[in-house]
Amino acid sequence: MRRAYQFCLILYPRAHRDRFAEEMLQVFEEASADGRAEGWVWSVRFTLAEIGGLIGGAAGAWLDSRSAARVPSQSPAPGWIPHELAEAQERVEANVAAMVHAIANHQFERARVLSNQEREARENLRVLREKYGDEYGMNV
Amino acid sequence: MRHVVTQTNLEGKPLTEPVLLILTSLAEHPRHGYALIKDIELLSAGRVRMSTGTLFGALRRLLVDGWIERFELEDTTRQKQAYRLTATGRRHLQLELDRMKHLARAGFARLKAAEAL
Repeated sequence: MRRAYQFCLILYPRAHRDRFAEEMLQVFEEASADGRAEGWVWSVRFTLAEIGGLIGGAAGAWLDSRSAARVPSQSPAPGWIPHELAEAQERVEANVAAMVHAIANHQFERARVLSNQEREARENLRVLREKYGDEYGMNV
Repeated sequence: MRHVVTQTNLEGKPLTEPVLLILTSLAEHPRHGYALIKDIELLSAGRVRMSTGTLFGALRRLLVDGWIERFELEDTTRQKQAYRLTATGRRHLQLELDRMKHLARAGFARLKAAEAL
């Protein structure tokens, strides 16, 4: 079984094999050892599921590696920022504006709700900045 | 309140089931490959038994997107590599669970309304 599994791993792109092959084999062995007592029906099902998973997984890995290769390597145009980051920034700005308006109109209950929303929006923004780094230089 | 658009729910596209199950499993604590398979089986009440091909395909994508990270376990006799959620991954899981909660609420409300007719 181990040899057959190792052979099937050849279906994967080199980069995936280098990164995961050993670990996949280890998990496969552990799973097959755990299920040995379940009988031959379990073994046949397990083997078929593993073969199907390997074929599907290899196809997905090849598709991912091809699409990654098609992504242009040049840096984005000056002034460009990721869509989700721009949207998060707009949300924070809109929240602040609405909160200021509510306070100016003595709508303190509404201002409190908006303040909670603003905190959440800022947290979103912080997570996105962490993801994209500081290269986009946005100020809120 | 409208959510920030994320990588997976751009245009409202939900996470795939393997991805959702992996993120949910890692939300509790870091796990290695086989522990993930076992926990996912438990989480899904035995309905999902993920193959290694499916598991590592999903793990690879999550690593590339920065939703999870891989690290070496210090003290183990079995598998050395383990996975944990990043702050981004946790946030995406939260957004997806909110989306599902909203959908479930709407679904139950409609079922109730139909029964009342």
